[in-house]
Amino acid sequence: MKVTLNWLKEFVDISYSPEELGNALTMAGLEVESVEKIARPFNGVVIGHILSCSKHPQADKLHICSVDTGAPEPVMVVCGAPNAAAGIKAPLALPGAELAQGLKVESREIRGISSSGMLCSEAELGLTERSEGLMILDSDAPIGADFASYLGEDDYLFDVNITPNRPDCMSVIGLAREIAAISGKTLKKREIKLQPTPESLHDIIEVEIQDAKRCYRYSGRYLRHIHIQPSPFWMAYRLQNAGIRAINNVVDITNYVMLETGHPLHAFDYRHIAGKKIIVRTAASGESFTTLDSKSYTLDDETLLICDAERAVALAGIMGGLNSEVLEDTENVFLESACFEPTNIRRSSKKLGISTESSKRFERGADPNGTLHAMDRAAQLMCDYAQAEVVGDAIDVNAQAVSPRIIQLSLGRVNSMLGTELSGKEILALLPALEIKCRQEDADKFTLTIPTFRPDLERPIDIIEEIARLYGYDKIPFARRAWLDQSQTINERIVFQDHLRTILAGLGLRETLSLSLVSPAATEPFLPSGAKAVELLNPLSTEWSVFRSSLLISLLQNTAYNRNRQNPVQRFFEIGNAAWMQDDAHIEKKQVVGMIAGEIHQPAWHDKGRAFDFYDIKGILVQLFQACGIKGFQFKPAAEHYWGQENSSVWLNESVCLGAFGRISEPILAAYKIKTRDVFAFQLDFDTLYAHRLQHRVFDPIPRFPSVPFDIALLMDANIPVGDVEAAIWQEGGTYLISVQLFDFYQGEQIPAGKKSVAFSLTFCSRERTLGDDDITPVVTRILSHLHEKYGIELRPR
Amino acid sequence: MSENLQKTLAEIDRIEHQCKTSLAAAAHLQEVEKIKTDYLGRKGSVQNLFALMGRVDADEKPQLGAALNRLKETLQAEIDNRAASFQHQPMAIASFDPSLPARLPAMGSLHPILQVMDEVKQIFTAMGFRIEEGPEIESDYYNFEALNIPAYHPSRDMQDTFYLNGKYVLRTHTSPVQIRTMEKQKPPVRMIAPGKCFRKDTPDATHSPTFHQCEGLCVDRGVSFADLKGVVQSFAQKIFDDKNIRVRFRPSFFPFTEPSAEYDFSCIFCKGKGCRMCKNTGWLEISGAGMVDPAVFGFVDYDPEIYSGYAFGMGLERIAILKYRVNDIRIFFENDIRFLEQF
Ligand SMILES: [Zn+2]
Repeated sequence: MKVTLNWLKEFVDISYSPEELGNALTMAGLEVESVEKIARPFNGVVIGHILSCSKHPQADKLHICSVDTGAPEPVMVVCGAPNAAAGIKAPLALPGAELAQGLKVESREIRGISSSGMLCSEAELGLTERSEGLMILDSDAPIGADFASYLGEDDYLFDVNITPNRPDCMSVIGLAREIAAISGKTLKKREIKLQPTPESLHDIIEVEIQDAKRCYRYSGRYLRHIHIQPSPFWMAYRLQNAGIRAINNVVDITNYVMLETGHPLHAFDYRHIAGKKIIVRTAASGESFTTLDSKSYTLDDETLLICDAERAVALAGIMGGLNSEVLEDTENVFLESACFEPTNIRRSSKKLGISTESSKRFERGADPNGTLHAMDRAAQLMCDYAQAEVVGDAIDVNAQAVSPRIIQLSLGRVNSMLGTELSGKEILALLPALEIKCRQEDADKFTLTIPTFRPDLERPIDIIEEIARLYGYDKIPFARRAWLDQSQTINERIVFQDHLRTILAGLGLRETLSLSLVSPAATEPFLPSGAKAVELLNPLSTEWSVFRSSLLISLLQNTAYNRNRQNPVQRFFEIGNAAWMQDDAHIEKKQVVGMIAGEIHQPAWHDKGRAFDFYDIKGILVQLFQACGIKGFQFKPAAEHYWGQENSSVWLNESVCLGAFGRISEPILAAYKIKTRDVFAFQLDFDTLYAHRLQHRVFDPIPRFPSVPFDIALLMDANIPVGDVEAAIWQEGGTYLISVQLFDFYQGEQIPAGKKSVAFSLTFCSRERTLGDDDITPVVTRILSHLHEKYGIELRPR
Repeated sequence: MSENLQKTLAEIDRIEHQCKTSLAAAAHLQEVEKIKTDYLGRKGSVQNLFALMGRVDADEKPQLGAALNRLKETLQAEIDNRAASFQHQPMAIASFDPSLPARLPAMGSLHPILQVMDEVKQIFTAMGFRIEEGPEIESDYYNFEALNIPAYHPSRDMQDTFYLNGKYVLRTHTSPVQIRTMEKQKPPVRMIAPGKCFRKDTPDATHSPTFHQCEGLCVDRGVSFADLKGVVQSFAQKIFDDKNIRVRFRPSFFPFTEPSAEYDFSCIFCKGKGCRMCKNTGWLEISGAGMVDPAVFGFVDYDPEIYSGYAFGMGLERIAILKYRVNDIRIFFENDIRFLEQF
């Protein structure tokens, strides 16, 4: 809401400076976003009196004016304004003057006549957008006076951010009431005195509310013999500063009164109201309507309409119709001042995509008992500035009378909620300024009567907020409580997640944090089979239109981003949520994902480096499992097609899969324009990991007796997985076997074709005694014969 | 004992003796290194003996294996001893240059936003708050309705929302976690909910469609606005590690709190005197807070006549921006290594 200081001053005495006022409003919950001195973007302009005005001999549309500026000689000015006439006073820019938009005024010849200045319109002075004619000043304006001084003292524009709960503050009077309350001043009320003709409206207009649920109240007045003309400057100027364009006196008055009182009004051209009847009803489904901005809408059966005997003439509370708009030739007006149910206005406004100054006020809740005041204020202004005649009494159909709410307040409750020690007297000093009537029943109880312009005050807690606000949030103490006597339990899942993060960072990966929104193309390859993407209905762009189906997408993006910037060594991890649709329900899963790409490190003096490979990512994973205390996992080929040939999935048993890892496939890398082939990643399901983590570690005593190593070199078929052999060794290794390390692996010249040579270092140890040959020899024999039987493996001959 | 085994065992003795003799004769470390390769290398004498395993009978293999392992160990120890005897001679001075770059082990890091989140979690954990989490895809009910934000209410305009099919949204705040927690747990409740949130904001220096929030909630008998002020001030002073930070509360409006407030911290840059960072106000806007609206208690079946509570929020990016003097929120989500490695 934009409002000028001078307008506010009509309703309350203000002793603050503009900055202080801005601050005071902000601290009272009416956040002032800006305070600006209103610019008068001109200089060198004086008040001129047009002494004579004659036609330019060479141009039909130009006049030659002789203008008195108080100097001994009048100034001759050529002027193109249609309303230039002898006897009027208007601002005159003298040679050397500067006007709005950098226009410089100089003496010059216009079609053979010399012109020593320029008579100005409001637009040329940068005051309003009205440019159709000269700005005509009051007849008592002092000739020759500086025009800027004539406009009066500087004014300031306040841009106040009104929270949705305060419809009353979307008005000058509402803000003035707040200022009065915080500064201890009194709100000045305006008396309205109309002199209606003693006619009956019976034969002129009748109002019927058919939907009393959606229209609480409908008031109206009939105004006759109206002269449509531009509204006075001060009105147009205030509207302009509030961000509303001036149109004509009648329309401007309805807007002006809406800003002043917060109550939206609408003026119909009476001649277009068929059947002398206004009917408030809901639209028929599919009914169409054209608003006064010439746009057509198809309505549903919940949209409330203002109709005449034949057709709709306005979208109730939102916008008037093209068919009954006030125009230049309008003579008689029916003025509407109604009150509508807020939710319905909000619904229709959203559905139709029309948000107006009117709908913004009705959807927050206008005062049902404010219709008459706003209407009569507008009628008065129409009498004053449109020569209107008020005919007969007001129409007022009060379909759902709303009376002031009564709230019982307990002082004890106020203090326990705020942590204060306020007295009853202090409360009685605060609330009446908001027009809340207070009656103290006893030491603790108050009965409060709430004005109907405050629909937000429904319960005692709402009053407590008003008390806190006016008392001052900054006067409420800072309490320090010790809570430790009943401390909460630890959330193990969070602790585990943070443990994983620390481990992964310790393993040399950098944690990333990515936007979770990706493109449909990016998400597609990572969707589980049969799943669909989680799509946003209203995305910002296609790039960010679906929820990521895997965190691998984010890490691929991060890898590509860094490689494009020549940042060496990409080692990343991220823990976060991925989601997809399965059978029309969304599934959201937390994932733990890591990725390494390119070279293991930059070439160095001690080591030229190498590309990452499958065993690097496997190593990170195995270390991570070790840190989680997860044991006994097995590797099987991974099924997802986004992995390249080197891949594996990790299983705890037949049914529990922790995730998968391996090389990212070439088509995927191509999609991210990643040039290296050496991109390896793992993707784990957080909750599976969490469920199978080792929860309680138990100390495993360190053996006191020396361990005994024993190496075996084996020759075996190249297609037997080393992991199977290692498992077989463990199986036959007996209780003393504590470690199996592969220390050599060879395939090549000295080895027969189709074979490979592997060498394991076995370590044996006992907790009871030092082991000797007698203990180890039989075990090794058993292992070797088992390997021979199961896989045909031989000890390696020379 | 077979003949083959006997021969091999003799060979083992011979090699052991030969190796010891050579070691004794070695004049410097390089010679010891060569002996090591000759005997223990992949094609060395000991490895060749292992290859002879095939020649002995199966039942004799373990005995031979044990003998070979013993040989290997003995020689390894002898070689190590001899090498050590040369080691304490100083390294040739010319070849030692301490200014050569270090060998750097791979170094990971934690994301700055999540480091801030970790700090926030620590501070509130120490104050007795439990950490809770919830889904990022939320139902309209938890994200709005149960927080007293009905459909077709103007307060829905306060947050631009990403909508999904079927009455779901990407959560616009972590407040739904408060509802989920209160549904599960009777008072007293003290919790914080850190996490990722989404709003339909076009990205610029101060907006990102994805951002992180931490919300807090405390419900008990006799909890007051003064308690809220105390907790927020405590937090302010801890997160910026400055006892002099002041906190200012301004009235505001949120559908789920009453009274509602915006809270500001005194400017950490100018100590409240006024500077460019605080637009000369001396205050930095942080976030919103308030007393839980009784309507919210209605949704989780808490009796507002018995219990009261406060709730507060904070944007983690906002705090990170202030802490690390970052000037553009988007950099947090670019994940440029040159950025990540600074934290
Ligand atoms: Zn500052």
